[in-house]
Amino acid sequence: MTSGENASTLPEMNASTYAKPYRPFSFSRIYAITINTVIELTRLKVFYVLLIFALVLIGSSIFMAQFSFQQEFQILKDVSLGAISIFTSLLAIVATARLLPQDMEDRIVYTILAKPVPRFDYVVGKIAGVLLLLAISTLVMGAAFLIVLYMREQAALHATMRQLSGAPPDQLADALRAVRSSAFDADLFPGIAIIYLKACLLAALTLFVSTFATSTIFTVVVMAFIYFIGHLQATAREYWLQEHGNALITRVFLAVVTLLFPDLQAFNLVDDIVAGTAISLAVFAKTAVLGIFYTTIYTLLAAFVFYGKEL
Amino acid sequence: MTNPAVAVHGLTKIFPVPFHRQRIVAVKNLNLRIEPGEVYGLLGPNGSGKSTTLKIILGLVSPTHGRTEIFGRDSRLVESREAVGFLPENPYFYKYLTGEETLRFFGRLCGLRGAALKNRMNELLDLVGLGKARNRRLGTYSKGMLQRIGLAQALIHDPRLVVLDEPTAGVDPAGSRDIRDLILDLKRHGITVLLSSHLLAQAQEICDRVGILADGVLVREGHLQELIAIENQTELVITDASDELIHEIESIVNRSRAKLIEQRKSTTTLERLFLDATKKDGARRQMTNE
Repeated sequence: MTSGENASTLPEMNASTYAKPYRPFSFSRIYAITINTVIELTRLKVFYVLLIFALVLIGSSIFMAQFSFQQEFQILKDVSLGAISIFTSLLAIVATARLLPQDMEDRIVYTILAKPVPRFDYVVGKIAGVLLLLAISTLVMGAAFLIVLYMREQAALHATMRQLSGAPPDQLADALRAVRSSAFDADLFPGIAIIYLKACLLAALTLFVSTFATSTIFTVVVMAFIYFIGHLQATAREYWLQEHGNALITRVFLAVVTLLFPDLQAFNLVDDIVAGTAISLAVFAKTAVLGIFYTTIYTLLAAFVFYGKEL
Repeated sequence: MTNPAVAVHGLTKIFPVPFHRQRIVAVKNLNLRIEPGEVYGLLGPNGSGKSTTLKIILGLVSPTHGRTEIFGRDSRLVESREAVGFLPENPYFYKYLTGEETLRFFGRLCGLRGAALKNRMNELLDLVGLGKARNRRLGTYSKGMLQRIGLAQALIHDPRLVVLDEPTAGVDPAGSRDIRDLILDLKRHGITVLLSSHLLAQAQEICDRVGILADGVLVREGHLQELIAIENQTELVITDASDELIHEIESIVNRSRAKLIEQRKSTTTLERLFLDATKKDGARRQMTNE
């Protein structure tokens, strides 16, 4: 359509032949929004968070070389799982807080919703993009942590073999078994999975807050409050129940508080894992269901508020 | 009886002002009927309610009273937008996507896939003159290029109705003329165009009918020629007329009961002058470079 050239003509197309008829719910439509959200967040350089994580990991492992291998593994797990938890939570809040406001400010949302795209699909596509990004980030950080743990374990095994080179085979085998058992723990995997679910919950809650917040800063500040209250609320709840008994009104009030401020301490299985306490399947399943429940509820609430929003 | 492309019935939109008792009436009891294949211009000054009306028609804002329909479907229903392409005023898109990726994204949202989507993207990128810039990120596009990729995305699913909110805002005269040509092309293909503008000269060139909004109220509506015609005046445009002929016409007019109000040389438009000058200058520069 360059001026001066022959007038361009509109290409013929029969949309009924090419475009699939509208369906109220379409996975491919949601997929298009999800992938676009992942690209959007990646271009925002959120993966710098992963770089900081790697630096924390390497820095802490250098610092720990002076400890015994039991202490070293314990601190490594403590620092790494704590860092994964903090970074994924941070990523979930910061990445999600600007998603909807930015689209509205740039008016991209008009162009998208003026197409046959239900608002529900748009919200679900956006949150799915964040959850996918969080999954990739958690996998990368988890893999980096396990690699460093493996390397430190190998170093400890070699050091043990050197120290006990003249010792009887039984004593050497016991020592090596002690090193291995204090390094790897099968509970690390459910621990990382729960960290991911906690980040999903925070992302969905951030999305919900952003549907009625007046600015991105407001959303982040509100989420910071919710984050801290969420970690303290279990203690406050116990105290409240002790003081006020178990009356119906008390339980209703606490249920509302629990919905507004999810019990984030329930997702802290990491402390038990680091301390060497085994995580039962029941505890894992209960926490996972709680995480999925909260994520679903907040996503539905976000979709509900966004459905009635004037754009 | 065929359904109108757009029907607006008793539309009123009132925006409450937070923490105040007052309310803003953006649109007041608006009734419109736009027939398929028409180019309809919604005109009015800034803040007259044009964009709000378009947003309600597109289901982006809900009406306080009344209802709007697109080809007989309530425009609050998502499926009514199967037939609509929309270009917002000063559109922004995802800056990190290229022109091609942008069209692919919007095509997928409309249910287009595979070879059909690829062909449609190629056709539209050529149509809007962005074939060479297809792999450039939108962050590097000029305002005119953004407007053109916006038009391409509006047409991606071959809509029967195209809604354009200030389509030439911020575009240079050449780009503006291209958009005008494209709108006329859409009309030739039987596509209904609803556009809002405050550039009256341009609307005059392309619209079949116009509605003029002021403070949310439709103050005039009708066929353009009927609205702007001055019933008791007639223009004659004569080429190669001698002075004698002109004097003879003047004397005939003076002898009659009619009155000659104005006699002047025909002029070209400033737009035509600009386009000719920039085209000739560009050709000259190209020859010098060669």
